[in-house]
Amino acid sequence: MINAAHHDHDDLRLLRESVRTLLERAGGVARARKIRDEDGGWDAPVMTELAKAGVFGAAVPEEAGGLGMGLAAAGIIAEEVGRVIAPEPVVASVGLAIGLLRRLCPEHALLTEALAGTTVLATAWQERDAKGFSDTLSSRFENGALTGTKSWVAGVAAASGILVVAEAGGGPALALVEPGGKGVSIDKRRQSDGSILAELHLSGAPTELLAEGPVVAKALEAAVSDTTVLTAAELVGVSAKALEITLDYIKTREQFDKPIGSFQVIQHRAVDMHVMQEVAEASVRDALGLMDATEAPRLRARQASRAKARACTTARKITREAIQLHGAVGYTDEFDIGLYLNRALVLSAWLGDDVYHRRLWLNARNAEEAAE
Amino acid sequence: MIDYNAMSDADFRRQVRQFFETEYPEELRNLSHRPKFAEIEHWHRKLHAKGWVAPAWPAEFGGMGLNAAKLLFFYEEQQRWGVVRGRDMGVQMVGPLIIKFGTDAQKAYWLPRILSCEDIWCQGYSEPGAGSDLANLRTNAVIEGNEFVINGQKIWTTMAHDSTHIFMLVRTDPKAPKKQQGISFILVPMDQPGVEVRTITTLAGETEFCEVFFDDARTPCENLVGELNKGWTMAKSLLSFERVFIGAPNLAQNALGQLETYARGAGRFDDPVFCDRFAEVALDVEDHAALYARFADQLKRSEPLGADVSMLKIWVTETFQKITELMIEAAGPDGGTLGPLQVGNVGLDVLAVFYKARPTTIYGGSNEIQRNILSKAVLGLPG
Repeated sequence: MINAAHHDHDDLRLLRESVRTLLERAGGVARARKIRDEDGGWDAPVMTELAKAGVFGAAVPEEAGGLGMGLAAAGIIAEEVGRVIAPEPVVASVGLAIGLLRRLCPEHALLTEALAGTTVLATAWQERDAKGFSDTLSSRFENGALTGTKSWVAGVAAASGILVVAEAGGGPALALVEPGGKGVSIDKRRQSDGSILAELHLSGAPTELLAEGPVVAKALEAAVSDTTVLTAAELVGVSAKALEITLDYIKTREQFDKPIGSFQVIQHRAVDMHVMQEVAEASVRDALGLMDATEAPRLRARQASRAKARACTTARKITREAIQLHGAVGYTDEFDIGLYLNRALVLSAWLGDDVYHRRLWLNARNAEEAAE
Repeated sequence: MIDYNAMSDADFRRQVRQFFETEYPEELRNLSHRPKFAEIEHWHRKLHAKGWVAPAWPAEFGGMGLNAAKLLFFYEEQQRWGVVRGRDMGVQMVGPLIIKFGTDAQKAYWLPRILSCEDIWCQGYSEPGAGSDLANLRTNAVIEGNEFVINGQKIWTTMAHDSTHIFMLVRTDPKAPKKQQGISFILVPMDQPGVEVRTITTLAGETEFCEVFFDDARTPCENLVGELNKGWTMAKSLLSFERVFIGAPNLAQNALGQLETYARGAGRFDDPVFCDRFAEVALDVEDHAALYARFADQLKRSEPLGADVSMLKIWVTETFQKITELMIEAAGPDGGTLGPLQVGNVGLDVLAVFYKARPTTIYGGSNEIQRNILSKAVLGLPG
């Protein structure tokens, strides 16, 4: 009954079931804990299995080698990734790396390899300034080499290549570097969920140029919107599962000779979590559908921000309430519920939190209304 | 007779929109209070002549016979244009009940009078001490000869002072083993010596609610709808409808539009804190609409709605209240002032909207009751 699957269309339901089965068979949430305790990377065989299930090409048009099922399908996958905290960089690969390659160089062998899961690419596009994300690029592509610092690079732990967006003079360029190559140094920063978010330092790193000019800016904008909404979908999966675990717990945990879920104050808090979750699911799925229906960058960005704002607010509230309703055991590492809190922290911060996205959303809304 | 369901959605919507836009009186758009019948009689006559008083009723009883999808379009257009919710308890509540459970004679007599507003109805459910615990009612009806003799009191009866009839739940078997049993549903004329109506002045200074006292009031036994002592199930079937209706986005959407206009006029969007809080409620409204659409799709596929529909009411009424609170904040030092606040050429009665939002989390089953329903029926929590 409280199963996200009941609102899907048939083909999406099948996709959801196959991804869920695959991730459960691979070890479920226990795998997230194991990898966290090791090195914060991921399982290469699981990456390949996901690729075989069509995960990386679900949202890629058929002419570029994908399944052409749109973002709605990628959103379903992201929700399932969120439910078991799968450590594979699915959203970063689908949204950023594959999102850029399929728009900028669909003929390149890298895209085929990324779709097949044989190559995993991280994407370095953001830079830091005093207020957070910088609006301008200070990294440079000159004479076939890259120089500068890129921040918040996800999925770098076991990546075989890094796509870098840098200023090339006449606009941005997209270029490829090797993680262990000359002039490349990676400062790995551990996140609360055990994953790595890196700072990438480039000092004359030799590179392969993949694309340059205004097309890169345009493709990047689209890819970032996709990644933002897919991260929101992943958060929806995180909060959905955290809520389910909590509901199961309060139905069985007894205090004062009764299950704590029979106390009205607990019930009302659980209901509030449930209502938030339903709103978040409806919102994110609505946004995915609207984004599939348009190419207009501002409309897509607005929907992505709406989804991320909602998903962050919801995941934050639900994962924190979940700890409270578990009582002291919720604060122990031994119980899985804490893994969800830690994952929500990471996914909320990545690409901007709810306050940041509400600001973007309002600006986009005002701009649209001014244009009317 | 026109088969509206055979029309394309777009054609139907266009026709409805055009009718409201050309025929609905400007001065009645987005009324902030529940009007008395005299105030909207002219509009009601137009609607009646068009045959559009009862969109959900089957055509054979004088309704439009709209299917769920068309019905939602109709309501959406009504809301979009700010068409008043008229004296519609007859159409929305007692009419459908008579259609479903009434005798042929009851249908033939009452339904046309509901459509023409010859009879104007109010709902007698709540009692002092039986608000959310609706089955806890004490007003009783005893059969004497051919009549029910009624004694007791109803409260929070919306617009009773502007009604000719009341449909009510009364206790007809005080010895029934469960309090939900032994309740009957009867129709009672109010123009008689045993019925006394007293208005209740609300926080907003308006008189929308009433107390209704019954002191040996009488109604013929033929005014019993359905079986004796079986009124509870019937009344409950109406409540689920009410819950979808009050879970609709319109009140919050309208208030949001008013807030935005006012705040722009007052220059509040220069304040980043205000901007964030505005975006928060605006997204609460937009995301509610996405959830509402999911339920609407269910209706359009003719699937029954489950208990989870309660979440719409919780979310939208609490969002509505958040918006009105932000209005008061936006008004700053004028936030306690009654009547319209003028900003440029825009006037907004901040407190009227605020007051209007207060009872929404109480009526139709308080939000606490809705949470109890969700907790048991949807989350399956124990005890």
